[in-house]
Amino acid sequence: MKRFVLVVALFASVQLVLGQESNSNIATPSLTPVTWERLVNAADEPENWLMYSGTLDSQRFSGLDSIHNRNVGGLELKWAYQIPEIDRAETTPIVVDGVMFITEAPSNVVAVDAATGRPFWRYNHELPDDLRICCGRNNRGVAILGETLYMSTLDAHLVGIDARTGNLVWDSVVADYRAGYSKTAAPLIVKDQVVTGIAGGEFGIKGFIDSYNAEDGALLWRADTIPGPDHPDNRTWAGDSWRTGGSASWITGSYDPDLDLVYWGTGNPGPDWNGDVRMGDNLYSDSALALNGDSGDLEWYFQFTPHDVHDWDAIQVPILADLEFDGEMRKVMMWANRNAFYYTIDRETGEFLIGKPYANQTWAEGLDENGRPIRVPGTSPTEEGVVVAPSIGGATNWWSPAYSPRTELFYVNAYDGEQKYFKRDEDYVEGERFTGGGGENVLPQDAYQSAIRAIDPRTGDVRWEFLLQPRATAGVLATAGDLVFSGGVDGYFYALDAVSGQELWHIQLGERVHSAPMSYAVDGQQYVTVAAGNVVYTFGLDE
Amino acid sequence: MHWTSWFDSTKALLLTAAICAVGVTGLWAQEPEVTDRAGAADENPYTTRFDVRMGERLFLRQCSRCHGQDAGGNDETGAPDLTTGRFANASSPAGVFDVIRDGVRGTAMLPITPSTPDENVWQLVSYVDSLSTNPADVSLPGSATTGRQVYAGKGDCASCHMINADGSRLGPDLSRVGERRRPAELMADLVSPEDEVEPRWWTVTVTQADGTVVEGLRMDEDTFTIRLMDQDERLWSFSKTDIRSYDRMENSTMPNYEETLTAGEIDDLVAYLFSLRKEISQ
Repeated sequence: MKRFVLVVALFASVQLVLGQESNSNIATPSLTPVTWERLVNAADEPENWLMYSGTLDSQRFSGLDSIHNRNVGGLELKWAYQIPEIDRAETTPIVVDGVMFITEAPSNVVAVDAATGRPFWRYNHELPDDLRICCGRNNRGVAILGETLYMSTLDAHLVGIDARTGNLVWDSVVADYRAGYSKTAAPLIVKDQVVTGIAGGEFGIKGFIDSYNAEDGALLWRADTIPGPDHPDNRTWAGDSWRTGGSASWITGSYDPDLDLVYWGTGNPGPDWNGDVRMGDNLYSDSALALNGDSGDLEWYFQFTPHDVHDWDAIQVPILADLEFDGEMRKVMMWANRNAFYYTIDRETGEFLIGKPYANQTWAEGLDENGRPIRVPGTSPTEEGVVVAPSIGGATNWWSPAYSPRTELFYVNAYDGEQKYFKRDEDYVEGERFTGGGGENVLPQDAYQSAIRAIDPRTGDVRWEFLLQPRATAGVLATAGDLVFSGGVDGYFYALDAVSGQELWHIQLGERVHSAPMSYAVDGQQYVTVAAGNVVYTFGLDE
Repeated sequence: MHWTSWFDSTKALLLTAAICAVGVTGLWAQEPEVTDRAGAADENPYTTRFDVRMGERLFLRQCSRCHGQDAGGNDETGAPDLTTGRFANASSPAGVFDVIRDGVRGTAMLPITPSTPDENVWQLVSYVDSLSTNPADVSLPGSATTGRQVYAGKGDCASCHMINADGSRLGPDLSRVGERRRPAELMADLVSPEDEVEPRWWTVTVTQADGTVVEGLRMDEDTFTIRLMDQDERLWSFSKTDIRSYDRMENSTMPNYEETLTAGEIDDLVAYLFSLRKEISQ
């Protein structure tokens, strides 16, 4: 009898929830399918924001200019969307034909009307209760191809979702979450493939970058970010340390259609702070990788921090542009690294062009002619602790930089902090943290300077800086209106003049901005959107 | 208008199934979280020195990433200082157990891996407990009673500090300083106050647009504003765009008591400050 009552009660409850769900889930208006050609030419339709970084070159630059450096002072709130799960939103929404797709913690996505913020549907991804995640229940965004959205989930799945209805199209297991693998970053569409990375660098995973068939979610290729024992670069790992060497790939990469190369950054070698157990350069951790767009074969790599012992992942979005360099047009990649050095690299060959510190650092005397750091002795973690700059969080981190082809400046959120670094002995246990040390603060974060810095990619010189207090952890958007947008831990969202760095507008949003802004237009009106706390705010000019 | 209905029969059926699954999941998620904390009396059964050592190992592995190697907290991750013996979400060892086991919803504090045995969770509780100092276990050379007289008299501490709403606001409130500072740290505060002044207590001068200068303690600062308290305890709030400049003075306003107090008086003052804790009326 008891069982019968329970069943009835459960059924009644399900009906109730079902009723709520079916009332709130409605299909979006029709979208023009987002073909690969549209993605290649995304800059030609600036009213849409078709991927995480806006365009395949990841410049996070909006071609819209109706909001510009003379009228931005009139920017006002148009709508706000509350993410129901209280967490720190790291999402950059995408916008397609007036519909915005927002990812929510822990691994959900919602479609809303981009002009009003009213929801159409939500996809809730069911998660196990024993996730292994290092740094919060985050998701940073979706990719779209045709009428299907693609999203990473915390249990290390990649899912395809019908953009019109929110229905699941396919669900592929990328890796075993119980071994410490997870997924947080927006995938990147490359032709008919969904290219995606993996997180778990604090759990002794073995990293890779994967490509899946957009149609059915079948694995097409896997590029290992740690070469296997049959490869000569495997010898850059002492003994068997390569098996648990991390080198994750937890942010979105970029793609050059002309060169057919996928560019992706890799994370720290594991264990993070005890390098004694993995002597060698630890390839291809902390590197920029250039992969063939069809096969995933490694065409070249550039390692920023060989044998890293400070957790300075090269998990930054690679920005691609063509620049005149010493009188010659070069296809370059721009990279402000967590290790406090800025690099310009030839993206055809991986050749190091220039590199300079853009933030406070005490660990390297400089870079040699190949871009390899010249280390200061005594800066590796010890059992007693050693103070080194930058901090574990880095001079920058995963938060996106931006580049404006109008000003030819690279904009990055930089931090001049330091930290005391420790190491300890630690055995690898599958599914448990494997970091071999840690850090502690010397002073509160606001004792150090944070700034938006505008870097000349030809010289690495900082052209201007806009000081922030306290430390900021937001991405940057540049626009054709010669504006740079970003936000702060203090809850401000602001616009700077892209040429001079002068502050032109700001608003207090009441919670930390821990995401990157984007811009789009509906019916000719330009909007700027950013997530702060667990709210997505959209701003525009008074019509 | 291009609204497309998804109410064709196949899709509706699939969607219903999907929503059922989501609904059931949501339902379970709303159930009160059950902990399997051992022992009806809520006592920690694992408190030996071995347990503390095991707890430390677990802490360094599982918790130090956010809370810091020294458990001193991290204002970037929002992880609180765990060395004070006082916690925002727990008032007993059993409460600390629950926080570790269940996490704190809406924060970055996630539940520990469910497969972690209760024994390990209690060992973590024991380690966290060991980080705060029980005054009964500490033997100090000075006298708290004499130290109280030094505080009020020769030390003239109340001209800057406040204890239980009595004194000044020009230095940190000391009403519960014994909970957050160990005796050695209190000693360092008295004899080398210029070391590591926290940004909250920096002295800052603001030069206003008309050239007048305001000097005060840095109450608070963000990207666009700064707030000071001057020597007369007046509060000043400035928009950075409206001022000419602002600068930090490197010196500490706290005097070095080695120059004015004897070693014995400093010991007494340390004993007094260490005795200052939350008082609960019975």
